[in-house]
Amino acid sequence: MSEQKPILEVNHLKKYFKTPKGLLHAVDDVSFSIDEGRTLGLVGESGCGKSTTGRAILRLIEPTSGEVLFKGENVLGLDKEGMRKKRKEMQIIFQDPFSSLNPRKTISQTIAEPLKRYNMTSSHEETRDKVLELMETVGLAERLMDTYPHELDGGRRQRVGIARALAMNPSFIVCDEPVSALDVSIQAQILNLMQELQDKMGLTYLFITHNLSVVHHFSNDIAVMYLGQLIEKAPSRELFANPVHPYTQALLSAIPIPKLGRQRERILLKGEITSPIEPKKCCRFAPRCIHACDRCFNEEPQVTDLGNGHTVSCFLAEK
Amino acid sequence: MSEKNLAVEIKDLVVEYRTDTGVVQALNHFELELEKGKTLGLVGETGAGKTTAGLSMLRLIPDPPGVIVGGSIKVDGEEYLTKTEKEMEHIRGKKVSMIFQDPMTALNPVFTVEDQIAESIALHEKVSKKEAIAKAGDMLEAVGIPRARGKEYPHQFSGGMKQRVVIAIALACSPSILIADEPTTALDVTIQAQVLEMMKDLKKKYETSLLLITHDLGVVAEICDDVSVIYAGTVIEHGSLEDVFNHPRHPYTEGLFNSLPDLDNPTAKLKPIKGLMPDPSNLPKGCAFCPRCEYAMPICETEKPGKSFRNEEHYVRCHLYENGDAKEGRIGKI
Repeated sequence: MSEQKPILEVNHLKKYFKTPKGLLHAVDDVSFSIDEGRTLGLVGESGCGKSTTGRAILRLIEPTSGEVLFKGENVLGLDKEGMRKKRKEMQIIFQDPFSSLNPRKTISQTIAEPLKRYNMTSSHEETRDKVLELMETVGLAERLMDTYPHELDGGRRQRVGIARALAMNPSFIVCDEPVSALDVSIQAQILNLMQELQDKMGLTYLFITHNLSVVHHFSNDIAVMYLGQLIEKAPSRELFANPVHPYTQALLSAIPIPKLGRQRERILLKGEITSPIEPKKCCRFAPRCIHACDRCFNEEPQVTDLGNGHTVSCFLAEK
Repeated sequence: MSEKNLAVEIKDLVVEYRTDTGVVQALNHFELELEKGKTLGLVGETGAGKTTAGLSMLRLIPDPPGVIVGGSIKVDGEEYLTKTEKEMEHIRGKKVSMIFQDPMTALNPVFTVEDQIAESIALHEKVSKKEAIAKAGDMLEAVGIPRARGKEYPHQFSGGMKQRVVIAIALACSPSILIADEPTTALDVTIQAQVLEMMKDLKKKYETSLLLITHDLGVVAEICDDVSVIYAGTVIEHGSLEDVFNHPRHPYTEGLFNSLPDLDNPTAKLKPIKGLMPDPSNLPKGCAFCPRCEYAMPICETEKPGKSFRNEEHYVRCHLYENGDAKEGRIGKI
């Protein structure tokens, strides 16, 4: 557990965007780590910076400052060529299988692309064999080799996206809402596939999603983001049993449960996420929080360690 | 109960999309009963025909390629399929209203939101422009938006607020029937909770009957009284919320529940339904679910199943139940 060394460590990661109205703090001082072979779920609502975090780690968006240690090496210090090599080990699966595949390439061409780009194979035959092997791994029939993305349904397209990510034998994959665009029956197929692949290949996932029941099912640990900041992190079971931050509590109480007699007391939040442009130095959740006091509007809460890997940033937890 | 007070009764509705490459059978003898003042959840996956069902009630199926081939749609006892386009114009937004899934595209970006609400009021009620605007302000307040923001444009609102505006437009003329097509799918969970809570209150206040089209069984558990499960254009199971959630009879309904992660038992492996939805332009001859069904028998390939009843309300279309009797469950325990 804790003796295991983290494969990925993110320290004080920041990404600010310049806008005409000022600096937008998309990711503001986010730190976390993931142990090898485990899954960290990153949850939050639209606009909280979870996707930006995922992309900043892979430098698909250049972070403003901070540190991303992958196997002990700071990824942000690498030059272009170094980063290109690094990406072999760090891959991403995108949310929308409808727009993340090139419509003019057949799926075997799409899967073969990274193999060719990194000279992983020496001949056409070898490439073909490797593509077929990858297709089999993700459950795509051989006859689909020469089809184009538009001929496939969402679930199959997402399988292509997974095969492409796996082509490099990565050890770490950022999964950015990989099942959000899919129907529940297909969603379950893809989640099972991703879990099998993790068991088989020892993959580490950063699983970004807004779907809390999926994240509970899928992740070892969960980190909750609000307006660019990480406000609570804990092992999944612990977070669901003992949410401490008022936002986490509200978020969990809002999950619609597909069972009868389970409708709980809802914590209904007033208002919506406020603007992340030039935020004041205070608790960013305070305007929507039922427990907010003067201090919350004037001071920024620091991270409190509650033990057992449970951390939270809220004045309530300090007592 | 033959004395049901029905707001909507759809029988044997067949809708096809006729394209150059083939005929897509969107609805196959689709049926639906919505009781007055109640909420019916129409549940199914992408392409099952949920939205087509909602659109055909308002006769808004794009034609071509959509054709309503046969059947009957009765709202408060009135047949809608024989009405003229002119008559339908008076019904839409007044008697029957619809909320669409995507609030980002449902609003006109070049008009203020109060103008858009007032448009619907002015169209259906004999009021002056000023009165219509005043009423639009009332509606905004009813959905929890300050009246003063009525002068703003849609892009100045967030997603949750836009969906509230869309709901305000739909309810502006106090329709007796509201069709909500995935009203909260595009929203975040905390905002979804706000909007659902608000819809519950408004429904009570305006005594509206609600048809809620969704794929989210959690949302259904939250606000519906009855549930119809639709697969490949046919309702395959229907009953009260309690019936369908606690005594599901159809293998597809079972599969839907099994596909969802269980919050009480989060590490349990998901049991997805194998395979994919059948191609709607080439549906299987027998039961449409047969190719994916774990319980399939030879008869399922050749014959369409009829209705079997568990009680007066709760029925299922599946060959597992013989002689129309579905009192005893024949699928695995959930």
